[in-house]
Amino acid sequence: MRAVHFCSSCGKVQPPVPVDYFMFFGFTAKLDLDTASLEKEFYALSRRLHPDLFAQANPEERAFSLEQSSMLNDAYRTLKDPIKRTEYLLRLEGIELEEQSKQATEKARATGELKKQVVPPDLLEEVFELNMHLEELGAQKKLGEDDPALLEEIGKAKLSLEEKHDALLHDLKTEWKKWDETIDNGREVDRPKILATMLDLLNRRNYIRNLLRDVNEAVE
Amino acid sequence: MSYSDKVIDHYNNPRNVGSMDKSSADVGTGLVGAPECGDVMKLQIKVNPQTNVIEDAKFKTFGCGSAIASSSLATEWVKGKTVDQALEIKNTEIVKELALPPVKIHCSVLAEDAIRAAIGDWKKKQEATKPAAVQTVQ
Ligand code: FES
Repeated sequence: MRAVHFCSSCGKVQPPVPVDYFMFFGFTAKLDLDTASLEKEFYALSRRLHPDLFAQANPEERAFSLEQSSMLNDAYRTLKDPIKRTEYLLRLEGIELEEQSKQATEKARATGELKKQVVPPDLLEEVFELNMHLEELGAQKKLGEDDPALLEEIGKAKLSLEEKHDALLHDLKTEWKKWDETIDNGREVDRPKILATMLDLLNRRNYIRNLLRDVNEAVE
Repeated sequence: MSYSDKVIDHYNNPRNVGSMDKSSADVGTGLVGAPECGDVMKLQIKVNPQTNVIEDAKFKTFGCGSAIASSSLATEWVKGKTVDQALEIKNTEIVKELALPPVKIHCSVLAEDAIRAAIGDWKKKQEATKPAAVQTVQ
């Protein structure tokens, strides 16, 4: 099914119907989507919704065309980006990153059990260590000194993080394929596990991305 | 967004920054992170094994001002409390004390998580050292 943007008999622009971004482009909610056809759809629709075409239209039609194009832009920006696309799908499935953490804290409070950290401990250790190094580096810089050993340490950590980042993206794509299979074969029972894995991968990636940003700032 | 005076105070003069010996039996370490922003917080407590009172607390946080203020406040609050009392601390109290805006609530959640994690770590060490027969009280 796809959202109808224009009337099939008179060709007039229609008010946007509340569909998800996948449907907006006439796609099923698959993650490994064909970005070339996404782009093609986007440009085709952009042209047909261009404000210049509605300069003479009645106010209602003009308003619809504006709403349609803003949805078009949001939808395109979200689906084009692999991470945003995955996050969006998780949200469609009712999983919010922030909520997750809060709910886990509430559960830990109620049961007295230890909260399940959404980020694995070994990665936390690594993040913490590297932050310590970066802080040290900053302090040295202020004094006008440079410790080559420290810089080397940070350089190594950076490489390892970049590798991890790539590996995570690779793993994410594997989950995409699994997800898409469940769309094809209708096996809904398989979905929660795939969603949980994707969430975990995104959480780790968040850490790594932030850290890489800090590292790059620090060594500049 | 502007920070409240209390946040700024803790940020400029963080209390109890530092670390303790992670391997000591009396020390509990909590290392937690907020996936929303990628920040990390380490909170450590030193517990008197006779009284279960938290005698000292230290933290180190890499994150935003609210996370630093929340963890600084958390170390102040846990000191002098028994571990059970410290488990009562809720992130909402931190939010109130520091007047954190809604977008900064997760920073206070992080501090509560860190307290729990540190206490959990300490308890685990206690159980490992105590003979099983002594563990009758729940
Ligand atoms: S913004 Fe993440 S801990 Fe404050």
